[in-house]
Amino acid sequence: MSRFFKLVFNEQFKIYIRKSTWIMYIILAGLIIGNAALTNSFDEPNKYTDDNWREVLEEENKLLQQDNDTYTQEMKENDQEVTEDDSYLQFNMTEIEKNNYYLENDIQPHSYGAWQFVLDNAMLLSVVSLLTIIIAAGIVANEFRWGTIKLLLIRPISRSVVLLSKYVSVLLFALFTLIFVYVVSLLVGGVFFGFEGINPSIVIEKNSAFTDVSMVSEVFSAYGYSIVNLVMMTTFAFMISVVFRNSALAIGVAIFLMMSGNTIVAFFSDRDWAKYILFANTDLKQYASGTPWIEGMTLSFSITVLLVYYIIFMAISWIVFKKRDVAGH
Amino acid sequence: MVAAMELIDLKKTIGNKEIIKGLSFSIQKGEVFGFIGPNGAGKTTTIRMMVGLMSITDGDVRILGNSIKTDFSKAVREVGAIVENPEMYPFMTGWQNLMHYARMTPGITKERVKEVIHLVGLEKPIKEKVGRYSLGMRQRLGIAQALLHKPSVLILDEPTNGLDPAGIREIREYIRKIALEEHVAVIISSHLLSEIEQMCDRIGIIKNGELIAIQAVRENVEASNQEVALEQVQIEATPVDKAINLLRTNHEIEAVRNDNMISFRSSKEAIPKLIETLVKHQIAIYQVGVSKVTLEDKFFNLIGENTIE
Ligand SMILES: Nc1ncnc2c1ncn2[C@@H]1O[C@H](COP(=O)(O)OP(=O)(O)OP(=O)(O)O)[C@@H](O)[C@H]1O
Ligand SMILES: [Mg+2]
Repeated sequence: MSRFFKLVFNEQFKIYIRKSTWIMYIILAGLIIGNAALTNSFDEPNKYTDDNWREVLEEENKLLQQDNDTYTQEMKENDQEVTEDDSYLQFNMTEIEKNNYYLENDIQPHSYGAWQFVLDNAMLLSVVSLLTIIIAAGIVANEFRWGTIKLLLIRPISRSVVLLSKYVSVLLFALFTLIFVYVVSLLVGGVFFGFEGINPSIVIEKNSAFTDVSMVSEVFSAYGYSIVNLVMMTTFAFMISVVFRNSALAIGVAIFLMMSGNTIVAFFSDRDWAKYILFANTDLKQYASGTPWIEGMTLSFSITVLLVYYIIFMAISWIVFKKRDVAGH
Repeated sequence: MVAAMELIDLKKTIGNKEIIKGLSFSIQKGEVFGFIGPNGAGKTTTIRMMVGLMSITDGDVRILGNSIKTDFSKAVREVGAIVENPEMYPFMTGWQNLMHYARMTPGITKERVKEVIHLVGLEKPIKEKVGRYSLGMRQRLGIAQALLHKPSVLILDEPTNGLDPAGIREIREYIRKIALEEHVAVIISSHLLSEIEQMCDRIGIIKNGELIAIQAVRENVEASNQEVALEQVQIEATPVDKAINLLRTNHEIEAVRNDNMISFRSSKEAIPKLIETLVKHQIAIYQVGVSKVTLEDKFFNLIGENTIE
């Protein structure tokens, strides 16, 4: 066990000693701070803090309703049909309903704060996926490129274990980077907006009704759902890196698929086999909030499909790595 | 005593090309074995199989009796190697590189790491990034890495490659020192015999994937061959043609002409007789030179001069 720990330590050492890794983290921190500055300049932070928060909400509702009315008016003047589910109207209506929920249940809304900021930064997880893919794509291919693979594989450790230490290191990198985004967001959010409290609640729409849930658990579920996609794409990039020993290829293919995954599913959505496409199943949130993309899909179906893909990616990586003759470049 | 390393009818086929065609030999602890062959002879391929980087098509490699095929960890535990170039992580210091490999084998202490650094004389630049090392320094670091776990067999693939004469001399000196002090079997490959001849106890010559000769170095050529010791003899004489004829008719020697020089091989004892014959027949002799048949000459004979760089 301690042997394996040392192998993982070696891999972590090789990741974090390089400047390029630190540049990744600097870029991430820059994105978070930039996001905070942007949010700060658009939102007025402390609008609900005073005792008159009910009036503020009612005032907001009035303005939203007015906005909807003028919009409908204008559309009519231009001889255009306006239906109930027009997206512009819908957006404002949702806001109004949400405000009403606060009023009816006598919950004082929180002003924008660090936790809300952390939640908003869940979108940065696609950047974390990207960085993890870069690490996964390089962790085997680079050893071949540097020629160090030869010295790595003539130690009294089986190839499977060497590869496992590399795979675990990639996942650790993802974990550390997630924690980094989380902590830096919380700190930067705290500095810019202040904290809402230890465990504030947030009102969200769930199955077309509003409830208030713990903000912290909401943050964890937002981050948690993205991890599925991260692990799948990382494992895929890892496999490409092992098979082709080319990190650029692995990065390119994995990122292309990550970006175009939804498009691929949409393109084939009328086929029978569309639900077996990896990307139709990576977003497990589809089962928690609303309907699945393709009819007939269930949570257990998606988990099964994900597992099958995962096992295939891992099996190919391990078999190829174990069998390969290490020669030349 | 079990051999440090033993090759048993080792074969490698890639596609349908037979690259290694059945090598068998063994090397003892404390022995320095030179593995010589022209480019493409199969030295690196053999070494890759010895350390388990390449699969073995047929035959086996045993290290202290353990098969690299079936007992990989145990066998490779006793091997330290540089395969082709001494490639290290360029973004890490020498020390960090060594510690990286030290963590991969149980029981290597920091003291041992310092010991090997001292052995290869890298104390000064050890805290510098390897990217800034000269080729000679990287060769030394490569050897240090190979010695960390006190292996019984040290395999160095072309350790003199790209080194200047001073660098080659240094490597030569401390390889003998290592063989002595660490009591390991050393296998050195090279395509230049002259570079490693002086540090080897035995030389194996490989060509087209076949071992064509094994030769002890120190005991001299004649001792290991049962044939009579031969010397290379050169005589400056006129008329040359007549001298060559005389040697052929009277002594059955096929001499080669080179301007006014004739050269041939002969045992030392026969030389006075030959000269007597020539003088008797009024041949003018200006000088006579005698030199040993070197291993290099023998090597040329075996693999043909053109194939050596
Ligand atoms: N992966 C491979 N596929 C096909 N042929 C190969 C492969 N690797 C090596 N060879 C062939 O095997 C032969 C031996 O190559 P090897 O590298 O072992 O020679 P070498 O003795 O180390 O030569 P050098 O002095 O140039 O280093 C060469 O003819 C080479 O073309
Ligand atoms: Mg070679």
